[in-house]
Amino acid sequence: MPARVDRVISLAPNLTEIVFAVGGGDRLVGRTSYCDYPPEAKSVTEVGDTLHPSLERVIALKPQVVLISTASQLEVFTQQLENQNIAVFVTDPHDLEGVFRSIDQIGEILGKKEQASTLVQSLRQRTNAVEQAVKQKPPVRVFYQLSAEPLYTAGHDSFVTDLMRRAGAISVTADIPGAWPKYSSESALASKPEAIILPTGGSMGTGNSKVAEALRQSPAVQQGRVYKIDDDHLVRPGPRAIDGLEEMARALHPDAFK
Amino acid sequence: MMNRVTLRKTIISCALLAAALLLAIVSMSLIGSEPLPVRASLCAIASLGSTSCGLTRDQFDILFQIRVPRILLAAAVGGSLATAGAGYQALLRNPLAEPYLLGISNGAAVGTMTALVFFGANEWTRPVLAFTGALLATLAVYRLARGRAGSTPERLILAGVIVTTFLSSVIVFVTTLMDATRIRSFTFWLLGDLSGTSGALLPVAITVAIAGALILTLNARSLNLLMLGERDAFDLGVEVGRVRVVVFVVASLLVGSSVAASGSVGYVGLVVPHLARLSLGSDNRISIPAAALGGAVFVIVADTLARTIIAPRELPVGAITALIGAPLFIYLLKRA
Repeated sequence: MPARVDRVISLAPNLTEIVFAVGGGDRLVGRTSYCDYPPEAKSVTEVGDTLHPSLERVIALKPQVVLISTASQLEVFTQQLENQNIAVFVTDPHDLEGVFRSIDQIGEILGKKEQASTLVQSLRQRTNAVEQAVKQKPPVRVFYQLSAEPLYTAGHDSFVTDLMRRAGAISVTADIPGAWPKYSSESALASKPEAIILPTGGSMGTGNSKVAEALRQSPAVQQGRVYKIDDDHLVRPGPRAIDGLEEMARALHPDAFK
Repeated sequence: MMNRVTLRKTIISCALLAAALLLAIVSMSLIGSEPLPVRASLCAIASLGSTSCGLTRDQFDILFQIRVPRILLAAAVGGSLATAGAGYQALLRNPLAEPYLLGISNGAAVGTMTALVFFGANEWTRPVLAFTGALLATLAVYRLARGRAGSTPERLILAGVIVTTFLSSVIVFVTTLMDATRIRSFTFWLLGDLSGTSGALLPVAITVAIAGALILTLNARSLNLLMLGERDAFDLGVEVGRVRVVVFVVASLLVGSSVAASGSVGYVGLVVPHLARLSLGSDNRISIPAAALGGAVFVIVADTLARTIIAPRELPVGAITALIGAPLFIYLLKRA
């Protein structure tokens, strides 16, 4: 890793958000087409999307470091960058601690160690406040619907599963292997969730705003406990995940925040 | 039309296969990621869902809202694809003609994707555009396969490869333009997936499957004669042009409706008609209805594996049909 990093490229929206949040936005010379937050990010040069970045453009931008999320699974790409003597930083958080760790590490890379630790501190405070507020509440059994048709949910390795636990919920699919498994409709129906979380309204637009057919008779639907949460706050393991945490906790335990 | 021996053979083999289909529907209804009490489930199925036989509300819903509709869709898709395969094989006089290998499934997939991207809310546009895509792909393959020297089996397969790869590129192009959040569901669907059994498309798929199998069976005698060659068939009084149009349109309808409901489930149209011909002979009056019923059983069993082997997670059924289908096909080729 070079001593002072002035030119960095981010290949995932959550990493772009972290770069800006630790005060390194002016060092960002490339981003993906999905990186739309903060608004300033949009003026940075696009290098393709997370799955198909343009290697030529990445190299032409002469970055010292390229930030990659393993979600993009770019092994060959990573190898090519390393052959060009471009440092590659890979992050793959499976829980909120992992998100905090990547914020600290990116802060360190950009020489913004203090800003990063101040940010992590405030995010930790907000997390603790949420956890304190819901501590006395009985946890709500939640189904996280990533998409309805086909039915996808959050599994054991997803950081959202940790986020739900901290928000005073138990994900009914917390023990399913993988991060985003495709789930059996029968099992979804049999799990009888008390609440359903629909990540929608952000990048997803109006997509995923309806409950899957198998869950239409669930206690969650009957009691009107279907909560739409901005998907950009839930699927991007970055600083705004804490917004998602707060939104979920408030939705699930409204009386804990009076 | 049909001599007595053939008629009898048709009736016996179809009755046996229909019994196997019924057995598959009932027995596979007892297997799933959520265990259900066997006796009560059988009793509820026997009553066609009119009494619960002591099943809880949830168990009843799992059985009749999720599992049985999915099994019926599997039957419709399997029957449609196997019938279409048998039809193409007879008409094109090529045992390798199959909706998936000829690129016809991909044509239907492009149609369905267009419907999903541009008319997402209107579900009925999916089978309509899938049918259109399948028909266009069929015509493209047919035209490409007919060279000046006539159509050879090699030329047909080559035409199929060209159409398949071309349409695959179109699919990749469209998915690249699509936003990231939808790509995962599309990749799953492209491999063939029966989990999205929506109420609206199931009756369409069943009706098309039954009607298609009946129409092709009624044209089976002409197809038998066509297998001698188009000129000979013409001399024997077959309206070659009419039969060709009927088979192309019906097979495209069959492929279109199944792809719209379940994506591209491969190998069914290849393996099942082969098995039918190997065990019952190449008379289309027997092999087409037998393929229809056998295809239904094949996909029901494959989908039961897909939804149970890593339960409560699921696999795409197309992966299972290919895993069973490819080795089976190699075995059949070696034996034949």
